[in-house]
Amino acid sequence: MNSRVLLPILISSYLLVLFPFTTYMKNKPFVEKMGYVPSPEFMRLVSADQKQALAAALMMKTMIYYGGLVERAKNQIAVTVDYPGIFQALSACVKLDPYNMDAYYFAQAVLVWDAQQVEMANDLLKYGMRYRDWDYYLPYFAGFNYAFFLKDYANAAIYYKRAGELLGTDLPMNLAGRYMYESGRTDMAISYLTTMIRGAGNEAVKQSLQTRLKAFQSVRTVEQAKEAYRGKFNRHPASVDELLGKGYLKELPVDPYGGTFYIDNQGMVRSTSKFAFGVVKK
Amino acid sequence: MQKGLIMLQIFFVTFKGILRDRVFRGIMMAGVLFPLIPSISSLSMRQVTELSISLSLSLLSFTLLLLSIFLGGTSLWKDIERRYTFSVLSLPLTRASFLVGKFFGIAAFIVLTTAILGLIASAVIWSSAGVYPSLRPFVWTNIVLAFFFCSLKYILVIAVSFLISAVSTSFFLPIFGTISLFIVGSATQEVYDYLHSSTVLTVSPFVKNIANTLYYLLPNFSAFDFEVNAVYGISPSLSGMIWICVYFVIYTAVMLALSAVIFSRREMQ
Repeated sequence: MNSRVLLPILISSYLLVLFPFTTYMKNKPFVEKMGYVPSPEFMRLVSADQKQALAAALMMKTMIYYGGLVERAKNQIAVTVDYPGIFQALSACVKLDPYNMDAYYFAQAVLVWDAQQVEMANDLLKYGMRYRDWDYYLPYFAGFNYAFFLKDYANAAIYYKRAGELLGTDLPMNLAGRYMYESGRTDMAISYLTTMIRGAGNEAVKQSLQTRLKAFQSVRTVEQAKEAYRGKFNRHPASVDELLGKGYLKELPVDPYGGTFYIDNQGMVRSTSKFAFGVVKK
Repeated sequence: MQKGLIMLQIFFVTFKGILRDRVFRGIMMAGVLFPLIPSISSLSMRQVTELSISLSLSLLSFTLLLLSIFLGGTSLWKDIERRYTFSVLSLPLTRASFLVGKFFGIAAFIVLTTAILGLIASAVIWSSAGVYPSLRPFVWTNIVLAFFFCSLKYILVIAVSFLISAVSTSFFLPIFGTISLFIVGSATQEVYDYLHSSTVLTVSPFVKNIANTLYYLLPNFSAFDFEVNAVYGISPSLSGMIWICVYFVIYTAVMLALSAVIFSRREMQ
């Protein structure tokens, strides 16, 4: 056939197929899977001088997966999170590039709270400290994990001290001293989350941290009201409603995770959501 | 004297031939990708500048890899195929000089490409660092060193591809042989370190001996990798760099000498 005839036919066919094709591609379900991550040893062997780029690609894959989860959680869609897959990707990432801060930050921002793998996160942070020996964030995170989650104040002090030395101030140590008291734990979390949010470049991670910060700020409001009540009546209030009824709380603080605040037998402020989106939590 | 002049002419003819083949236009296609790096890097949470340095070096390295494999692996084959070799070798010139002249022509092109892409990469890194200042101040010297050693690495790859081309001037063997040797040569240090670490208990002496032999025999391309130093501003050791340069000169000279011996003795049909 003459090319003068054939070419316009082919171009018209392309234009005709373009719209249904792109519509299909746009609506195609996003594959939210961590998928298979080859062993880091194997990747190190075959990646020649592309190790840092490969580590960055693994991080990108993890963040895209996590971004999809945050979106689902907001829409209240139930999904099972592949935490082992995320761990595997993160540890492969730091084995390829032990200096990659995104991996340490992501482990600390997401996995410590959501998967509660605190000791594993601390191992990762200690591994990172061997390489990023100038970075105060890593000991600061480790110190926080020891104090807040593990209540191991001796180790927390060691890492807060290290963070202070790298930062050139005693601030982390002084804060840590105040946080050692149970009542200071909420303040510790608020201060820590504020630091984390300041450095969050990724929108999904930022949203996740902001939600948690809002939750702790609400807890703090209830705790302050509870302390004021206790100061006057010398006992814990029976419920949050009591604080509301007696005017210690102007309004009921909102739990961004959708739970309701209550005061437990020890007088601690808790939420029925346990500060996690039930649908995202494994 | 005359031989030297003819070798110099071979050098210039090879260099001009690469330019005439419009290889540079292909490289500029890679150059077009560089301006995309800052926007890709902005997806990183905590190390945007670091990621842009890393991606710039990766792209430079990948472009040089393709160039060294294809130019190094096909150069001798093309000349023999085009019967160009016969007319050149009728001049008062040894085959060894012909081969060395060609090698330096391609090596000079690699240096030129590194310089041009290095400048583009530096502009990209500079713009990323301006928009997203890094917590860790980056060191220009380290970045330039990374470009320099990257260039040396791919000149060594050309020397390896010349050796394979001298053995067999088919199109495929030099290309695939060089790719295989590049991958193995980039991994030998990793394997050697692993086999000599305390965590390994059950490796047969046979495997260990093979790994050791390959480690000493094959070119160690991982030595030329200064990406971590460039990306995270870690000072490289001066003595280490000197050893790498000495290693480069000697290994390249050995490869060229072997290629020259084999090329001189082979039958030309």
